[in-house]
Amino acid sequence: MSDHLTLEAVDADGAIREAFEDAGGTSRAGFFKKAFAAGGSLTLGGILIGGLPAIGSAAPSPANDVKILNFALTLEYLEAEFYTRASASGALSGEARELSRVVGGHERAHVAFLKGALGAKAVKKPTFDFKGTTEDQKLFLATARVLEDTGVAAYNGQGPNLTKATLPAAASIVSVEARHAAWVRDILRQNPAPKAFDDALSMPAILKAVTGTGFITG
Amino acid sequence: MTDKLTLAAVDRDGAIEEMLDKIDGEAAASRGIFLKKSAVLSGGLIGGGALLGTLAKNADAATATDADIANFALTLEYLEAAFYTEAVQMGALSGDVARFARIVAAHERTHVAALKKMLGAAAVASPSFNFQGTTESQAKFKATAQVLEDTGVMAYAGQAPRIQSTAILKAALAIHTVEARHASWIRHINGAPPAPVGFDKPKTMQQILAAVTGTGFISSGPAMTASGSNPSFTG
Repeated sequence: MSDHLTLEAVDADGAIREAFEDAGGTSRAGFFKKAFAAGGSLTLGGILIGGLPAIGSAAPSPANDVKILNFALTLEYLEAEFYTRASASGALSGEARELSRVVGGHERAHVAFLKGALGAKAVKKPTFDFKGTTEDQKLFLATARVLEDTGVAAYNGQGPNLTKATLPAAASIVSVEARHAAWVRDILRQNPAPKAFDDALSMPAILKAVTGTGFITG
Repeated sequence: MTDKLTLAAVDRDGAIEEMLDKIDGEAAASRGIFLKKSAVLSGGLIGGGALLGTLAKNADAATATDADIANFALTLEYLEAAFYTEAVQMGALSGDVARFARIVAAHERTHVAALKKMLGAAAVASPSFNFQGTTESQAKFKATAQVLEDTGVMAYAGQAPRIQSTAILKAALAIHTVEARHASWIRHINGAPPAPVGFDKPKTMQQILAAVTGTGFISSGPAMTASGSNPSFTG
């Protein structure tokens, strides 16, 4: 399994890990079943899944860009909220606090940018429950690492599906997500750049990962 | 000017910064000015031949082929691979910096190999390099690595949207974010903000080539260190 989605610090009962184990080989039907079985994240899943059937086979088009950007926006909503709450919690100190402050500002800027680009087509912000990960420095860092590595894989997975007009915007965001990932990894004394080529993950794989965290509650 | 191309350790007389300011300031960024400016910089011109040759084919930037873009990327990766490999070999690095150089060197060599394989017979040959002593001092190495990695991020961001082949685009994207990780890592080591802005800016091929040429790292002569020894490159 990729280390991107190993959420040990949060995944106390192994449910997320179990969900990921077969992410690569899961049929779409199986994926839907799992996503819906995850409970609580149905609303989010509905938004994302609604766009999914068209994504895998669709050639880049402005309509497809909207679906992909809404997928990105949902991930950015999640990240922005995560850092905003973590910074507000008062639980962070030192470098973790600095990272949360800086990265939170970036993620909020990404949200604003994507909302602006999507206009009336932008999906609404979900509701979140971060399960204590914003209120404990150790859990915060472990979760931030997973979120950022996942963000990189999500953008890299969608880059080739975007039109040439939209790709530059995604390219200017994805490298910032990679910088965040390396930063939190270095704070954690993990290899900031563990591979020569970063992974690209499909929308279903990312959605499964996000759904599995239970962070999105509605 | 952005701090990304302020190569303080190398750009002692401000020539690179001046050149980039000039390019940034001119929307037309005519190649005539670029070439004239490049030509006055010693050392960079002949080694820049391969680069400028590629560029010359793309006088109209919109006509760059995937092979042109991949060769542009390959040339940057040759430079990075040689820089880190030499720095590791020279033995001036220690601690976190040595670890960074060792891991990043392997990545850059892997990027070279992948791009060469992708290009096949169309791959450009590696230029010769002279890193002007920046591989022989930890302080200079750290400053130079930061500039090279930030520049790599901007180069891939600028080229990715122009790539037509899905296979080459996927490779470019997979490399792009690794360069960003390297940039963040060395910035963290240097005490600089690892992610200084919310949106990384792309640079054009001409802007990147001007910056690279301006360093004087690409030399006309055989591979050589400032002290005159000849490290063996594996890039």
